[in-house]
Amino acid sequence: MSQKNTTPLFFLAPAVILIIVFVIYPIVQTLWLSFLSPKGEFVGLRNYAQILRSKEIINSDRFPFECPPWGALIHNAVWIAIHLPLTVFLGLFFAIILKDVKGASIIKSIVFLGMVMPMVVGGLMAKFLFDKDIGIVNVVLRFIGLHSLADISWTYHPETALFATILIGVWMWTGFSMIVYSAALAAIPREYYEAAEIDGASSFRKFIHITLPLLKPATLVVVVMTVLWELKIFDIVYVATGGGPGEASMVLAILMYIKAFVAFNFSEAAVLATLLTLLTLLPAIWIAKTAVGRK
Amino acid sequence: MAAAREAKTLIIVVGIVCLLVGFGAGWMVKPAPAPMKLVVIGPWSGAEMESFMPVLGAFAVEKGIMVEYRTYRAEDLATILPAQFKAGKAPADVIFMWAWWIRNNTEHILDISDIIDPADFMPGIVDQVTVDGKVYGAPYTGKVKPGFWYRISFFEEHNLKVPTTWEEFTTLLENISTIDGIVAPIASGDGVGWPLSDVTEHFILTFGGTDLFEGLINGSVSWTSDEVKAIFKDKLVPLLKKGYFSEPDDWTLILENWWEGKHALYFMGSWITGMVDDPTDLGVFSLPGAKAFVFCPDFMFIPKYTKHPDEAKELVKFLSGAEGQTIQVRQGGHIATNLNVELSAYPEVDKKVAQLLQGATAVTDLDDTIGGEFQTTFWDQLKYLWAHPDEWETVLAKIEEKAP
Repeated sequence: MSQKNTTPLFFLAPAVILIIVFVIYPIVQTLWLSFLSPKGEFVGLRNYAQILRSKEIINSDRFPFECPPWGALIHNAVWIAIHLPLTVFLGLFFAIILKDVKGASIIKSIVFLGMVMPMVVGGLMAKFLFDKDIGIVNVVLRFIGLHSLADISWTYHPETALFATILIGVWMWTGFSMIVYSAALAAIPREYYEAAEIDGASSFRKFIHITLPLLKPATLVVVVMTVLWELKIFDIVYVATGGGPGEASMVLAILMYIKAFVAFNFSEAAVLATLLTLLTLLPAIWIAKTAVGRK
Repeated sequence: MAAAREAKTLIIVVGIVCLLVGFGAGWMVKPAPAPMKLVVIGPWSGAEMESFMPVLGAFAVEKGIMVEYRTYRAEDLATILPAQFKAGKAPADVIFMWAWWIRNNTEHILDISDIIDPADFMPGIVDQVTVDGKVYGAPYTGKVKPGFWYRISFFEEHNLKVPTTWEEFTTLLENISTIDGIVAPIASGDGVGWPLSDVTEHFILTFGGTDLFEGLINGSVSWTSDEVKAIFKDKLVPLLKKGYFSEPDDWTLILENWWEGKHALYFMGSWITGMVDDPTDLGVFSLPGAKAFVFCPDFMFIPKYTKHPDEAKELVKFLSGAEGQTIQVRQGGHIATNLNVELSAYPEVDKKVAQLLQGATAVTDLDDTIGGEFQTTFWDQLKYLWAHPDEWETVLAKIEEKAP
């Protein structure tokens, strides 16, 4: 009996030790650091109060009626508000229109290119795509007569910098949702559609009553993964704008980096890391609960 | 049950055999000792690195010690070094880094007071890396930020003259803005943000003087004081509002635009002379009335954790000495900090810079001296100012929040 009990532990031990050393210990250490002053004294929740009251996190003087900076937390929220629906919709759109199309894999590969491209390259591309002289986006905007947007380099202006990074994020992440939706669409049995056609259902009704409900698990994955990605976003913004100008595109991860490695204030950086972890835990717990519920 | 026990036994036996074989092989096979090689980390790449390599080459020939050069920006080093030092390791034997960073990390840095004599260098330079009477860094060559560079051929073609008063300067900008093909009279460089801070510092130094400048560095003067406000309100902001400064763009890309004639003036350090096709076509002037200039020496240090402290000291002695600096200034774009470097070593275009500096005071770069969060905030807020000059008071207030 005792042999039966110890065998699983024996096989689990290496993984558990690694998790304790490389995951649990750093998390606990970071949490502890967030309660200390830079000099190492215990200060309770003072660091949290200081960070949450800071205009770097929420700038209520400017949000929502003036142009950014609105604070890093608001900027992350704006990322979710714009980036999430766009990537979900575009991914679904591409997956549906490319379903059963000859040569669709080529187009899918092109859309997926953004996903496999390093984020740093994406950040650099944002600078060039939205440049007033050479940017393709600006050329298109000029062509349709939107000169106020076409005649500025988006990443250098506080009004547009945040949105430039979000739009490049949409381009990079749409491939992910398209691939997930494509796989989910392929898994829907053809018989469902054939039965609906016999009943005289229109394409729209088939989409609403068959496709969409059966895509719910895929949507759940796309939404959660995208929200996690948006909360942790760093590379694109850091390379394209550095969080500026004037913190107009600052996000939590960059602010955490600046606090840790520019200001060398590891306590405030630990507070931001803890807040960021808590925020990312919310969707993770939600998907875990949903998955358990479905079982 | 029995199968699991057998599997467990097999894993343990295989693990023990692997460990024994590994240790045995490691003990028996002694790798041939690698030849001693010093590693130097510096911020230069491209053309700047090309002009540094002959200096390292000369050291290698003279001392018979191989040297490998690696490029890391100071901003990146600031994130890498703390963890390395905490682990008792050093990524290089000699590292070029900001003076303020060297001062703040002396517990990890070798005291090199025995090889650096402050009397050999420009007055006050070694003080920047001295803590409690001990010298922790060595000055290499430096760069001056003398003013606005222009192409002599462009000025001649359009009959433009170097201004001697503020009024002449603004008139010059107005005249330039009417020339066909000009996007904006002054090119605004960008990168992480230092080109904008350089030109802003030149305005502060020219119209506020060295006392105000030093006061901003040591925190005795506020960024929201009347003196600073006046410089922004009366001098810098009106030029921004009139569109005399271009939108910021990558500083190397906009350098090409400036050279091609899309801009007439470019505020840049003396290293620009090594970055253009024809340095003899370069002219430079400072803001009328400028009596002081920013001089930025590069500093190097030896980490305590180097495996070759004696050889590293030899290298630092060579680089900071007259011999090493002479080779560097010959390449152009650099000004020696060592007083024993002969004037004849400078290329002609650098002599123009030296001429401009005659009788002027040299001060350290404001944001490089303060460093930390102030520096990134200063850069970032200036980018905002370039887009929204109307909000200059908010910008100054934000900078003041992070000031010493």
